[in-house]
Amino acid sequence: MSALIKSLSTTFITSPPNFFIVDAITIKDLKKIYPKTEALKGITFSIQEGEFFGLLGPNGAGKTTAIHILTGLANKTSGEVTLFGKDVVKDYKEARALIGLVPQEFNFDQFEKVYNILYFASGYFGIPSDLRKKRIEKVLKELGLWEKKDMKAITLSGGMKRKLMIARALVHEPKILILDEPTAGVDVETRKSIWQFIRKLNKSGVTILLTTHYLEEAEELCERIAIINHGEITTLDSKNNLLKLLEGERLCLTLKEELKIPANLKKYDVTINGKIMTIALDQKKDKWETVLADIQGLPIEKMETHKNKLEDIFIHLTNGK
Amino acid sequence: MGNNTGMWTLAQRETSRFLRVWQQTIIPPVITSTLFILIFGYSLGSRIKMVGDVGYLEFIIPGLLMMGVIMSAYMNTSSSLFISKFQKNIQEMLVSPLSYWQIIAALTMAAVFRGVLVGVSILGVSYIFADITVSNFFILSYFMIMVSTIFAFAGIATALWATSFDKMNVFATFIITPLTYLGGVFFSIQMLPPMWQNVARFNPILYMVDGFRYGFIGTSDVSLGFSIGLVAVLVIGFGALCVHLFKIGYRLRD
Repeated sequence: MSALIKSLSTTFITSPPNFFIVDAITIKDLKKIYPKTEALKGITFSIQEGEFFGLLGPNGAGKTTAIHILTGLANKTSGEVTLFGKDVVKDYKEARALIGLVPQEFNFDQFEKVYNILYFASGYFGIPSDLRKKRIEKVLKELGLWEKKDMKAITLSGGMKRKLMIARALVHEPKILILDEPTAGVDVETRKSIWQFIRKLNKSGVTILLTTHYLEEAEELCERIAIINHGEITTLDSKNNLLKLLEGERLCLTLKEELKIPANLKKYDVTINGKIMTIALDQKKDKWETVLADIQGLPIEKMETHKNKLEDIFIHLTNGK
Repeated sequence: MGNNTGMWTLAQRETSRFLRVWQQTIIPPVITSTLFILIFGYSLGSRIKMVGDVGYLEFIIPGLLMMGVIMSAYMNTSSSLFISKFQKNIQEMLVSPLSYWQIIAALTMAAVFRGVLVGVSILGVSYIFADITVSNFFILSYFMIMVSTIFAFAGIATALWATSFDKMNVFATFIITPLTYLGGVFFSIQMLPPMWQNVARFNPILYMVDGFRYGFIGTSDVSLGFSIGLVAVLVIGFGALCVHLFKIGYRLRD
């Protein structure tokens, strides 16, 4: 008995049980086959409650297909998708009540007033009229759209239309918010304000699944990132671990004349593009004093260093290097 | 999970949509029917005199009313759903916890309301020109509501099927309009030669017009019981088709 208690206490200390961690989204072996293409080849991952999760991938990788299956806009071919344990097909009504979707394309009635778009869309979620009115006022004020409430959607700017779609996704107070390229085509200021808003939302407990082409966006917001390419998850890790994957810097030299790679630099990962020579440095292996000694004698006009960003990892992983 | 608030919200949205543009949705069928009454009822009708025991004007008014009801109910669901598909705001309904039958019921309720509103408006105008009596209010209401429902469902199915504005018009132009004109609106099938009488009996709109007319004049060309039954079967059939199409996501989901 004492051995059992000792064993249990050791186990608890080394790896505490995840009693309070709930999966908000669970995707198991999800496949989507179109007549001419296999959009999803059996993807599996889960997102915990309260997480800020990024789904990255090039165009046509399967990001939007996955989101459409989650939200009822596409039928799956096989596999299982649950939201807080509710199956998106069998328990579709309960599952959909948990989600707020901000789609990639504008999908509201362009000729309807801003207020009415939110009033009707949240009504479909069963929110009583009085409560709807209060929530619409709150969310429109938070997103800086209250003054535009009586304007027709078609008259709004691109950034405001994006904010309108975010507002519409939130009036029924979903536990999961899915954002498909939420800042596509908006100016820097609006993008930052949207980031600030969704970060605040996540801190209040809303689970967020974000797809984006802007790697800066994923780097700025997401805790964990999955990279999807050709319908398969190629990488799934925390953002910090992903950044460590290609930990290092690049030394960019602008030369006075075009050169071939000198023999003493062949031990490095060197690329030459005209007069630009780039040396990729591995922080663990390459020492700065050795590198500087090795480039001595080159006709250097300008020298710069760049830290690797998520974008470099993304290109590295999706190119299969 | 019941979501009647959602269903009523959608019905409210659909109703406000057609009421907002009443000049385009309510007035045109009333004007068309008035013109038919003036041309066929007053001008040409004076030469026909009586159809059975009723005057020609009293005979054609229920048919004209039914024509307006049919087209209004059909246009309401088909145009609204097709534009929603086109603008993609149909996704607002598809991602919500509304069940498929609730979406269909809400769209249909608004279409039936438009059909009834148009019907009542035409009836109001008809009182100016003819001495109209209602023989059986229950039968009249049954046909007005059930026929509106059939064509509301037909509008939903067409909007789901159609991938372009051209295709949208196919059903109205090539099926509803000819069947309506040949469905005994302007003539009694008793006036036709026996062979054409048999052909006319394959037209379902004949039974709708005839049953509806019974509600006004108290007599019918074909069996009233059969007409009542046929209309009920068509409601069930088209309703089941719509639910099935939504369930499989026909041209709604990838």
